Amino acid sequence: MNKTTRRTFLAGAAAAVPVVATAAVAPGAVQNNPAFKTCPRATGGKNAFRFPQVIVKDQHKEKAWFYEQLIADKLVLISFTSVKGEQYYPLLNNLVKVHQMIEDRVGKDVHMYTVTTDPYHDTPEALKALAEKHGAKWRFLTGAPEDVREILTAFNARGSLFGLSWIGNEKTGRWMNKPSRLHPLYIAEAVARLSTGKQHKPFLVDEHSV
Amino acid sequence: MAKRRDVLKAGAVAVASTPAIFGGAAIPRAAQAQLCRTEGIRRPETEPNSPPVTPYSTPLYIPPAMTPVDPQTLAPPPDPNRHQRFDEFQPVKHYVQHLTEGLWEYHPQLSALNPLSGGEMGVGSLAWLFNGATPGEQLVARYGEPVFVRRYNDLPATENALLPFGLPYTTIHLHNAHTASESDGYPGDFVGPGEFWDHHYGMLYARNDPNEALASLWYHDHMLDFTATNVYAGLSAMATFYDDLDSGDENDPNPDALRLPGTYGKYDISMILHDVRFDAMGNPNYNVFDTDGHLGDLITVNRKVSPYLEVEPRKYRFRIYDGGPSRFYELGLADESEMFVIANDGNLLEEPVEVTSIVIGPANRHDVIIDFSRYSVGDKVNMVNIMEQINGQGPTGRRLEGPDRMPVIQFRIKPLEGPDNSRIPDFMRKLPHINLNEVVAEREWIFDHDMGLWTVNHEFMDPTKVSAAPQQGTAEIWTFRNAGTSWAHPVHVHFEEFQVLEWNGRPPTGVLRSRKDVATLGPGDSARVFYRFDDFLGRYVIHCHNNVHEDNAMMARWDIVPNGGGTGA
Repeated sequence: MNKTTRRTFLAGAAAAVPVVATAAVAPGAVQNNPAFKTCPRATGGKNAFRFPQVIVKDQHKEKAWFYEQLIADKLVLISFTSVKGEQYYPLLNNLVKVHQMIEDRVGKDVHMYTVTTDPYHDTPEALKALAEKHGAKWRFLTGAPEDVREILTAFNARGSLFGLSWIGNEKTGRWMNKPSRLHPLYIAEAVARLSTGKQHKPFLVDEHSV
Repeated sequence: MAKRRDVLKAGAVAVASTPAIFGGAAIPRAAQAQLCRTEGIRRPETEPNSPPVTPYSTPLYIPPAMTPVDPQTLAPPPDPNRHQRFDEFQPVKHYVQHLTEGLWEYHPQLSALNPLSGGEMGVGSLAWLFNGATPGEQLVARYGEPVFVRRYNDLPATENALLPFGLPYTTIHLHNAHTASESDGYPGDFVGPGEFWDHHYGMLYARNDPNEALASLWYHDHMLDFTATNVYAGLSAMATFYDDLDSGDENDPNPDALRLPGTYGKYDISMILHDVRFDAMGNPNYNVFDTDGHLGDLITVNRKVSPYLEVEPRKYRFRIYDGGPSRFYELGLADESEMFVIANDGNLLEEPVEVTSIVIGPANRHDVIIDFSRYSVGDKVNMVNIMEQINGQGPTGRRLEGPDRMPVIQFRIKPLEGPDNSRIPDFMRKLPHINLNEVVAEREWIFDHDMGLWTVNHEFMDPTKVSAAPQQGTAEIWTFRNAGTSWAHPVHVHFEEFQVLEWNGRPPTGVLRSRKDVATLGPGDSARVFYRFDDFLGRYVIHCHNNVHEDNAMMARWDIVPNGGGTGA
């Protein structure tokens, strides 16, 4: 796929077009070598360079730049599953419980996303049905398979079943992960632990020795 | 191996050709760096290299012993009710530590790159420090002299921290002291900025048996999910325990004393290795998204990049620690001359073992005696790492050769300052007797990988789950099994030392005939070990000491319960 064309097309839709950081500009003789794919990285945040500069689409077909619009300067909870994977390793029901615990913050100062591990099959419509089936009231993300693969790579997610949720605060640049099927309280606790300001709580369950 | 290297060398001299998988065209070697390599992926060679530094150009830092404080100055005073058996083991030495963010000089060439360096923060690279240093001051203690340490977390709040990784919550574990749970640095016992935690170290032998003495320990942060980053940031230091046998005095008139090379800091020197990757500003760099492990490209010894140490032509005791987070080492002198291993994981062996290299994984320790009297004044001998490792999962199994060997430390021979009265004894400390009739339970712990995370017995770390509850006063046999095909796991159990019964089905020999607290398992390895559980009750953990694996769920809680108070489930 010609990335320039796609980006130009999207430029009209996106409110602001982020600056593209091209990590790999193949010089001179090797410029046309097919081994060198251009590899634009996101910019503008603490860990931007670790993320690809790609567009994703949610279950309502709303498009967004993955890093700049969904992650940069935000507190996020990102999980990974797919329509098929959910049959073998269900985790959405647990994440729905997490969502209930932080519902008042989701969409405001906490942003919750599920990225599909199967972008080849998971269309926005399929993800909408999946979310509705579980009562999941957050954004499910898919996109061009090669773009989603780059997102998965950034999180070291391999295979269609990936049992890890990443919690990140790009205001402070701190990230951690929890198993997506861990007791929901501990996932909510991770969100509280990485929060800053009034929302910051070091723990929700006091497990200290006396 | 040699063949592969010859091919690469030939290629480098001419024009390095690109493998066919990259399109087949010949491109200059430098251009390979232009291949699209995302920063998040797991191969650490995709992380940028550290700025170049000159090895062996900065002196080894030898941490001073901690300085006691007057207990009257502790406000509030120690609370005996917060500690098991406090009155039985009343502290005779009190210490205070402050954990802060600051600068630490890893290497002058790195400090020179840092815009923060040279200002009001001092000189160096960003670090988290104990009383202004990493490694922090040495806890030099003696059996029978209980210790109390109050540790203040004076780190900045997360949003104000300059170091871009780690979380400023801390719980300091004294690895692997025989310590009550509440002082052990349990991952849930963390404190945040502005708070403190009290640690009571009873300085008692397990089961009151001098054969259970520990000698080379270390203390480091154990914050849940952030151990790798916080330790990497600088929160590691060492401890040395002495007793009448291993007294730290090579001139000890006590006829029972071993008179190993001593004293602390002079002929008895602790060295903790951390491999660190630095960014272009000279600050430590870390990729939190690589859950396989973190590899640095420079080896630091006591947080100095490949330092040197001036030594006399005599015997020295080096306590060598692998501080992690993920690198395994095979260490030897570049001239392949002998060393004598006298302790494994800080515990004296029965007999010294003569070797030309030692193999250690994260958290392993080996005490070795090196006799420099075979060298002449002015000679230099380097200690190098010859273990090849290309990602955080574990070593490749190959050895590094020639210039690929990684510089660790250089010893420079200076004139003798006095007689060397130290000894390499034929026999050191007896191993405690193993009575298999005492065994009441056998447990298996399987270390594996599932759904992108590291598992213990197929489960992720869940602090509410007690995975084992041995009864106090009983013995058990535990089997640690690495189910992995390509990764290594240094399995660490808090509180008690084990003795190996079988390693891959065979009885232990050499340095494995010892008491240990880290079983470094290669792919497919299993170790069957003997444990006793005594003296204290409470929560402890078993985990992989590749701290990145530990932080990615490869940990389980186990409890010691009162005898008769549980089923030993």
